[in-house]
Amino acid sequence: MSKGKVVDSSKQIELRFSVLRTAVAILISLVIAFILIATVSDNPGGDFITLLTGPLQNSSRMTTIVSKFIPLLFTGTAICMVNSAGQINIAAEGAFFAGAVAATMVGVIEGIPAIIHIPLCILAGAAAGAVIMGIPGILHVKYNVVTIVAALMINYVALYLGLYIILNPLRDPAAGFEASYPFAESTSLPTLFGNPRIHIGLILGVIAVIAAYLLLYRTGFGLSARTVGNNKKFAVYSGMPVGKTIIGISLFAGCLAGIGGTVETLGNYQRFMYTDFTNHGWDGVMLAVLCHNKPQYMPLAALFLAYIRTSADALNFSSSVPPEIIEVIQAVIIIFVAAEKFMAGWEHKAIVKNSQKELGTQGGE
Amino acid sequence: MLDVIFSFDFFSSVLRMSTPLIFTGMAAVIGAKADILCIAYEGMMLFAALGGVLGSFYTQNLLVGVLVGVICGIIIAAIFAYFVMYLEARPLLAGLALNTLGSGGTVYVVYLLTGMKQNTSNLQSLRFPNVEIPGISSIPVLGDLLSGHNLCVYLAFLSVIAVWFLINKTRLGLRIRAVGRNPEAAASVGINVKKTKFIAMLLSGLLASFGGMYMSMGYLPYFTTDMTAGRGFISIAAQNMGLGNPALTMLFCLVFGLAMAVGNMAQSYRLPSQFASMLPYVVTIIGLVIMGIKTKREETHVKKTAHAVGNGAKGLEEKV
Repeated sequence: MSKGKVVDSSKQIELRFSVLRTAVAILISLVIAFILIATVSDNPGGDFITLLTGPLQNSSRMTTIVSKFIPLLFTGTAICMVNSAGQINIAAEGAFFAGAVAATMVGVIEGIPAIIHIPLCILAGAAAGAVIMGIPGILHVKYNVVTIVAALMINYVALYLGLYIILNPLRDPAAGFEASYPFAESTSLPTLFGNPRIHIGLILGVIAVIAAYLLLYRTGFGLSARTVGNNKKFAVYSGMPVGKTIIGISLFAGCLAGIGGTVETLGNYQRFMYTDFTNHGWDGVMLAVLCHNKPQYMPLAALFLAYIRTSADALNFSSSVPPEIIEVIQAVIIIFVAAEKFMAGWEHKAIVKNSQKELGTQGGE
Repeated sequence: MLDVIFSFDFFSSVLRMSTPLIFTGMAAVIGAKADILCIAYEGMMLFAALGGVLGSFYTQNLLVGVLVGVICGIIIAAIFAYFVMYLEARPLLAGLALNTLGSGGTVYVVYLLTGMKQNTSNLQSLRFPNVEIPGISSIPVLGDLLSGHNLCVYLAFLSVIAVWFLINKTRLGLRIRAVGRNPEAAASVGINVKKTKFIAMLLSGLLASFGGMYMSMGYLPYFTTDMTAGRGFISIAAQNMGLGNPALTMLFCLVFGLAMAVGNMAQSYRLPSQFASMLPYVVTIIGLVIMGIKTKREETHVKKTAHAVGNGAKGLEEKV
């Protein structure tokens, strides 16, 4: 029974439709964006062009894209990993924050050579992130706690514990505002391309994406993680170490999110400046949706989000349109990409037609 | 500091903090009973908060304002329900999308209608009145404790009773529980599962709307960006702690409200407020773990008993 090359498998059609659905979702969101801009702007055409091409208009904005892109790689990949194992673990938000705090705790120590200091900071960030994202995973496995609830709670614990550390033992009274002591000079991350705002976090982020891909798709651990995510009962009955897999992947994802927080803080600031959640964890959820939890597409998705965020900055700079309309665009994209049955009628028709064709060719043999 | 904690001011501050949590907690109870993982309460609250302010500003009529607010919140709930039930979107993602929409969309609407970006403090919008309960307000201590609070405070506690009644004593409540516990069984006796879940979500939206409107028409006299500040999520946690029971959920909403009030007070005394703010979340996690240990123990107990019974049967067979 040879499958003719002329006909596609249903899987290919599904893939094509999932790409098409993403494209249509982006298109719908752009139409909505145009309508929103047109209602509040004095110069709708110009502002819409700013939205589309603003980030490319000068090199400083292009640098901004890259600098917004770096942290998204980490949290997006982290969420891809836990999602693949069926864990709704949005503690990436807290893990990112905790990573930044832990890096600050190590980063303010003076007198360590850079070659040791930076890895130490990253290690501290990764460990803090692993703890924060690991806890919901462990609680789920050991005590049957619903992961998303535990994750929501642990996020706030990370936030307030972090703020306590920053605003009490580490607070610099000379700063004049609520911030930590400045980081030691030995923590300033090496930069790339001679651009002071692009740091080695970019390389680490790409490594994180590759590592996550290899782990998920090229190892037995990744296979059991994906099996747990697809069909937990099957994984249990076929004797896979379900609990260990879930905990392992949560810890690994936490490391990534923590490192993200570390490089974001050390790479962009002189001291710890956050006073609230940074929203990178929730951004990660959106990115994982766009990628269908496949880390290999993460750079593309993260680039897209970084691009429209930079568009928002450009709009804020050049017009009176509130940059928050970007959030509306995001919301529309997420909800349409997530809607599995959106355009399902066409998809179904295409699959039926294809099957008929396939049967027809087979019948002819 | 103790004299502050035992003051009437502190008591009413706890009530102020708890009120939006109780409303949204009850919304989460209904959602949980219908087995819908809804995290879109932040979005519903924000839109209702803005709708209430704008409705009452343009008409200068509180009732119309409330109506507009409720409609705004319910629309978000309906979008959520439609995407989850009919387009099979993952509930978490639909919730995330609508929360994002709530955060950005409200800013857009504020700017479109008023030209302001941060808040609506320039608008003369209306507030829910404070209620003096006749008879009780003149009793010395009790009057100060029970009377003179915002109307929403009383409505919040009434909503607990209403939700309990709805779930346990009405046909609709029975259906909601049925589709939540076993949709196939419910469908087999002729209950329209999707429709029932949809109605549950709309009711949930109604309650969450009041939580939002209290924020902008009671707690504060105007709408500000992201003013719900995670209260929707906290309510979900309270619902989980309360095992979906309205009274228990209310209790945990009060615990969270207490912790928020303590946090605020600590801040005004320049004490590190973070520990007070963190406390409710830590308590929730510990509570969830204790509950988990308990259910696990029961499961193993059942298994052991089954095993013992099995052995006993074997013994009998041998004897025969």
